[in-house]
Amino acid sequence: MLKMIGHYIKESWLLVVSAFVFGLLIAVTNAAWQPKIIQNKITKLDSLMNVLIADAKFELILSDVPVETGRGKIAKSNIYKATASDGNCVGFCFGAEGSGFADKIELVVAVDAEFKTIMGYSVLSSNETPGFGDRITQDYFRNQFIGAPAAILNLTKKGDDKKIDDEIVAISGATVSSTAVVDIFNNYLKQIREKLAGEGKLADGK
Amino acid sequence: MENKAPTVSNVFTAGLWRENPILRLLLGMCPTLAVTTAVKPALTMGLSVIFVLLCSNIVVSLMRKLLKPHLRILMFTLAIATFVTIADLFLKAFQPEMSAVLGPYVPLIIVNCIIICRAEACASKNGLFVSVIDAIGMGIGFTVVLCILGGIRELLATGMIFDIPVMWKGFMPLSAMRMPVGAFITLGLILGLVNMLTAKKS
Amino acid sequence: MDKIYVLLMAFISIVIVNNLVFTKFLGICPYLGVSGRIDMAFGMGMAVTFVVTLAGTLTWLIDHFVLMPYGLEVTRYICYILVIAGAVQLVEMYLRKFFPPLYESFGIFLPLITTNCAILGLCLFINLWGIDNFIETVVLSFGAGIGFTLAICIMAGIRENLKTADVPDSLKGAPITLITAGLLTLAFMGFAGMIK
Repeated sequence: MLKMIGHYIKESWLLVVSAFVFGLLIAVTNAAWQPKIIQNKITKLDSLMNVLIADAKFELILSDVPVETGRGKIAKSNIYKATASDGNCVGFCFGAEGSGFADKIELVVAVDAEFKTIMGYSVLSSNETPGFGDRITQDYFRNQFIGAPAAILNLTKKGDDKKIDDEIVAISGATVSSTAVVDIFNNYLKQIREKLAGEGKLADGK
Repeated sequence: MENKAPTVSNVFTAGLWRENPILRLLLGMCPTLAVTTAVKPALTMGLSVIFVLLCSNIVVSLMRKLLKPHLRILMFTLAIATFVTIADLFLKAFQPEMSAVLGPYVPLIIVNCIIICRAEACASKNGLFVSVIDAIGMGIGFTVVLCILGGIRELLATGMIFDIPVMWKGFMPLSAMRMPVGAFITLGLILGLVNMLTAKKS
Repeated sequence: MDKIYVLLMAFISIVIVNNLVFTKFLGICPYLGVSGRIDMAFGMGMAVTFVVTLAGTLTWLIDHFVLMPYGLEVTRYICYILVIAGAVQLVEMYLRKFFPPLYESFGIFLPLITTNCAILGLCLFINLWGIDNFIETVVLSFGAGIGFTLAICIMAGIRENLKTADVPDSLKGAPITLITAGLLTLAFMGFAGMIK
């Protein structure tokens, strides 16, 4: 019995020792760089949200809010409150996702403090077709959302994309991607508004 | 000492051309195709591979006399996975944008056949010095091909290199080059070109 | 009903729309190397399906019940690759002992599978997509294997015919395979947008 244990130790000591050393190595690097990684994530999100709502401080008010994304699927969303330098709430930002043409589309959406007007969106990650679907990241499509009412949005094939109203003109050649973005808005705006109203966080208290 | 120099240059150039991992051995195809949408991710990927290859070759070469044959592959994998994790953490900490672009293809370096193949074929048989030279040669060979592929695709897909427009006015970008089809066809044609050049030489 | 619909869609999406070989470039090495004959390709595909289902499920379990509760996410890659290597080893031993005929047909491919990017790739993508449903994980893992089999068998079929085609000398072998694969990805792109 002892001989067998001795045999195993002899065969595997190198593996055990190096596993220990490698583990230590990873622990050290992780400890050294983890704060920076977390900081990077916060900086990225902050800068994205700052594009949508300028000159504001963002504070996480509700985390991991469950949102139904259709067909019984649940996604989790974080809601941030934007406060201007004078201490007034100027809007809310939240993460939103839905399925696009090829893969999941993840957005950051901003709305104003009364939850009446959309203040725009940024694409956090998407894998849409280059040259077609990936134009959802471009300004001419995104600008249609800025100032649009935070109610049900409609997608049209033809129309004036300069006019700001609840009609969103689809990107030609990328109807599916455009639909996906509009669907994400319609879905999230309703549910997030209910959540915020339920928690009493909306500016007008309703 | 006299006959050491040719060996070193031999080992070094092997990775660059004669045994180039992508062009000749057809190893590590998955990152080659996936990350070469532009030069910058291709370069980042190449440098990460050089780092992992170098570290794993050093470690394997140092412990080559202690290795038990049947635990060998496990040992290699463990070492490679460790260094890949470190490289991944580094990218996340100091190159967050590139880390987001490369995504899961950084951890996929673990199963990049080049690294385990060099550990097995070179580092477990040779001393530290040769292993290091081999890793650098192979790594540079890999990176150069990656960058060429990335360059061609970025140029044709957007008309830019490193985000600097270089093509003439009125150039129509070929979006297809950024899609999977562009990767496959460009690499196929490059391989064909290499075959043609070699056939001519001999 | 919705649950079944979601699972069915997940399955179709991973087999066709998000096929690992054609859209994520995973498992290209065996795809180029082995797929010369349909029966070989099918054997390889089945072996991969077997291992990927096991590995995908196991890594998900380890991720959710060991790594996440204890905050050990940093060792994720090491755990994944060890699980995969272990799963391959176990499958090999099990088959050799209990199903010798199956082992005969799978056997040669099994050691290759550890370094097949499709397996580790799928485990990473499941983590990346944030799948938190066990059954969906199983379906996705199985579907990934089927998708790989589909891709490798289509390619093998084409290559069997390519043998008699008149290909320029310098393009023979890997280059023409890559170009064919490129055209195949175009065909598969037609499926994108099918899933909502």
